[in-house]
Amino acid sequence: MKKLLLASALTAMTATAASAEIRVGILHSLTGTMAISETTLRDVMLMLIEQQNAAGGLLGEEIVPVVVDGASDWPTFAERTRDLIAVEEVDVIFCCWTSSSRKAILPVAEELNTMVFYPVQYEGEESSLNVFYTGAAPNQQAIPAVDYYLEELGVESFALLGTDYVYPRTTNRILEQYLLDAGIPAENIFVNYTPFGHSDWSSIVGDVVALGETGEQVGVISTINGDANVGFYNELAAQGVSADDIPVVAFSVGEEELSGLDTEPLEGHLAAWNYFMSADTPQNEEFIANWHAFTGDDTRVTNDPMEAHYIGFQMWVQAVEAAGTTDIDAVREAMYGIQVPNLTGGMAEMLPNHHLTKPVLIGEIRADGQFDIISQTEPVPGDAWTDYLEESAILVSDWPGLGCGMFNTDTESCVQLQSNY
Amino acid sequence: MTRLGLFALLGAIFLSAGLALAPNAARAQGLQDLLQDNSDLVADASRRTVGEVLDVLATSGLPEVPLFLERWAAREVFQRDADGLFVYVEDEDADPLILIDITSGEVLGEAGSREVSQLRPNGGVRRVIASALVQFQLGAEDPQARLAALEAIDDNPDESHLPLIEERLELEEDPSVRAALDVLYPRLTIAFAEDDAARVAAIEALEGNISLAARATLNPLLTTTRDVAAELPEDINLARVLEPGADLPEAEAYALLAEAELAPPLIPAEARLAILEANVVEGRVGGLPVATLNTEAARDAAYAALVAEGLAEPAPDAEAIAQALADNVIYEVYREPSEAVTRAARATLDGIETRVGYYEAVDLTLDGLSLASIYFLAAIGLAITFGVMGVINMAHGEFIMIGAYTGFVVQTLVPNETASIAIAIPLAFAVTFGLGVAMERSVIRWLYHRPLETLLATFGISIALQQIVRQIFGPLTQPLTPPDWLAGSVSLNDVISISSIRIAIFALGLIFFIVLWVILNKTRLGLEVRAVTQNPKMAASMGINPDRINMLTFGLGSGIAGIAGVAIGLFAQVIPDLGANYIVQSFMTVVVGGVGNIFGTLIGAGLIGGLQKGIEWLNPSNTLAAQTYMILFVILFIQFRPRGIIALRGRAAGD
Repeated sequence: MKKLLLASALTAMTATAASAEIRVGILHSLTGTMAISETTLRDVMLMLIEQQNAAGGLLGEEIVPVVVDGASDWPTFAERTRDLIAVEEVDVIFCCWTSSSRKAILPVAEELNTMVFYPVQYEGEESSLNVFYTGAAPNQQAIPAVDYYLEELGVESFALLGTDYVYPRTTNRILEQYLLDAGIPAENIFVNYTPFGHSDWSSIVGDVVALGETGEQVGVISTINGDANVGFYNELAAQGVSADDIPVVAFSVGEEELSGLDTEPLEGHLAAWNYFMSADTPQNEEFIANWHAFTGDDTRVTNDPMEAHYIGFQMWVQAVEAAGTTDIDAVREAMYGIQVPNLTGGMAEMLPNHHLTKPVLIGEIRADGQFDIISQTEPVPGDAWTDYLEESAILVSDWPGLGCGMFNTDTESCVQLQSNY
Repeated sequence: MTRLGLFALLGAIFLSAGLALAPNAARAQGLQDLLQDNSDLVADASRRTVGEVLDVLATSGLPEVPLFLERWAAREVFQRDADGLFVYVEDEDADPLILIDITSGEVLGEAGSREVSQLRPNGGVRRVIASALVQFQLGAEDPQARLAALEAIDDNPDESHLPLIEERLELEEDPSVRAALDVLYPRLTIAFAEDDAARVAAIEALEGNISLAARATLNPLLTTTRDVAAELPEDINLARVLEPGADLPEAEAYALLAEAELAPPLIPAEARLAILEANVVEGRVGGLPVATLNTEAARDAAYAALVAEGLAEPAPDAEAIAQALADNVIYEVYREPSEAVTRAARATLDGIETRVGYYEAVDLTLDGLSLASIYFLAAIGLAITFGVMGVINMAHGEFIMIGAYTGFVVQTLVPNETASIAIAIPLAFAVTFGLGVAMERSVIRWLYHRPLETLLATFGISIALQQIVRQIFGPLTQPLTPPDWLAGSVSLNDVISISSIRIAIFALGLIFFIVLWVILNKTRLGLEVRAVTQNPKMAASMGINPDRINMLTFGLGSGIAGIAGVAIGLFAQVIPDLGANYIVQSFMTVVVGGVGNIFGTLIGAGLIGGLQKGIEWLNPSNTLAAQTYMILFVILFIQFRPRGIIALRGRAAGD
């Protein structure tokens, strides 16, 4: 009840502002278990909008942010989306972190035909007409990281540890198949799922260490989400497992998550992202300086989903300018092919499957909680339907070309237009 | 990348031109020249290719190579983008950077951070570099350097290391290096020595050694490959003969034979159908009408007819398959050629595995005890407020959370970790005791004997407390760092190890248990508490103030939750939802144990913790499933023993 009141108070505040302007919906969890990650994304959106307004707004009008709270509760995300579109009449929504929340808003976004930007790395196997995925698909994060394990670290025994929800489960299913295809025997792949906020890691870490008894190099691929990482890394450190013995590559641990940890014992563990705060480019330097100025705190870190929102917002601004209107369909047409510079160098391009081209970066955790970038690829085009699972290898997504997000190339037919994955 | 490559090329051309012009062009190449020759391999080092460069450097005999390798592995080497020159820098954080020549140590000039690239060899490359450094480090003066070299061998052992180690064994005097050598030497002997007798002796010396390293040495000796032959070869190190049907499915066995071309391949059903379809003549295949081909037997007959007419390849039938399997032998052969070695390894490993199994059981028990102690600690405050007083306090978890945050606040004010924990424990008790008393006075005392209202009110308070904390401290995880003496783990061997913080929690749980038991059973306060909870009116008429007792009891339960919070915060994560994660388990522990009895809570925690670990062990891939099964068990358990393990009897049971 309290959360509800708070959220409606927030919307009431913004709703009193002037009426003839462009309205941007910001839907993130400001309370509950996901607030740890998502509040930062709200802040970065507010910063980007403030900057755009300072630079003269958009189409000569002021952009007004409408912030609502998803409260880490998936049905609430769907309700809030409906509010944003029907009541607040926003022109675009920047939304979500977990895949569960994205799946929850999909039917509403499609029914009411709005435009949603989703900024987080995810499991793929989806392409909605109404969503632009500015985070990484599996082939832009998970697969290159596994290749790095196989090629560079010579890992032969894999532990896939994840939190029990849709992103880790789908990603691990893809990775398991990928590893089997790469010739890793099934008995060398250990999979484990834990609940959100899990803290009792001693026996799981023990199991992982025991994998080393065959004399093969063990590596952990972690899709552990949220707070549970704290306990996991602490337990690794307590059991004296260093990155040299058993490296851990994480897909959900960035600068923000590390700021709550004693990072010294984590030195050398890995993370795969498309952005690291330590990237040494002029764009990134400016972005960080703006962020510190906006928050008034020069210890605040930046992370990958923030960059995704940055790219998404710049693209949307360019598309609106190109279309000359905020009409959803016109802006969507203008989105395809738009290019925006990545903060790590190179250009991000919006592809017909609503995904971006992104470079894949692998970083090693430093003692100061930042990452040493040890590998950076050329921009990789995002693949909505993975090629490593038999049932989705035949699917492609091409909205402007085929008018379909789930096109079966075998039967040359569109499987579905609306999302009911 | 291409730009960089171009620069490197230009740099190389420039350099070689320079060399040709130089009067002493014929002299041996310097380190920089060697690196420039392999510029790409150095700048974009990869585990598989870096060996080439290392070989060149190692054979060059240049005195500055060891230092360069060390600094390369430590990421202290930079490359100037303009000309591809490899340099050291004076201070990495300086701006601009001061560049230093890798051979002479002279200052070369300055550069901004974007004009040079830092070489960042990855973990795999660093391991190869460390392994190449071994030959320089093993003879080093400093025992620490020699230990580092041995560690590098341990990570990435190689045939070339064995003679180096043997040489070192003769000379080594430092006891710690000697000890490391004594561990490493048998491993290298087993893996790389020529003499089988020496290897067998080294294997037998590992008897009963359950260390991970020992198992990792022995297991690779026993890896096998599968092979087929018409007759079992004589000169192989046979692991076992596989019996088709028993050891592997017959279909798989036949596929192996076909693959080795010892038998004609099976024709898959789809391919056979295609052949049949291709041979339809006037509605008949091999003389049989197509309409009758709706059974496997009919299709077999049609195919046989086609074969007889010479229109199709003969397919092996069941009899032929059985015959082929009987004629050939499928077997597994050890990769290791020496039979004496594999036999010794098998025997030694069997002995080790028995012991490992025994230690694993002990480790599982310890894990269960540790989890039980955490549940006990989380639940013991509730055992008083819910168990003894009967108040359903949904905000109990939030008291735990506030205790943890008290610890965090103290730690930001008092940097010394030991001192801060020592202050935090009584302070957390005081804070949550105060909160508990305030809550009892303001809300709960109006709601005694109205459990539903109590539940709703305390649930509301719990949400409010969570959100208040979130507003003050933010949603991010806050660090509560244990002091160094609690940071590591106690490990008896490579199987049994338990982190120190869990041992401390176990001890704390025991202390709580004893203290509470003494308070409730041996003090006047305890007597009054029991009197008030059993019959408040009678207690009041005996001169006890029930209001005061209720207030103190509730405060005590809440205060204990606060201390538990400090302990839990040390090993889990300090977040506003911390308490919510423990509230269900806490209630379960108290209910299963038996309401109104701290002995019951102890046993309940033991049962739930042990059970959870047991189920996790049976199904290691899904921890969430373990929790689900456990809740199912608790529901069943409550059906049969609704009052828990230790049920109060008689008047004490109330009602």
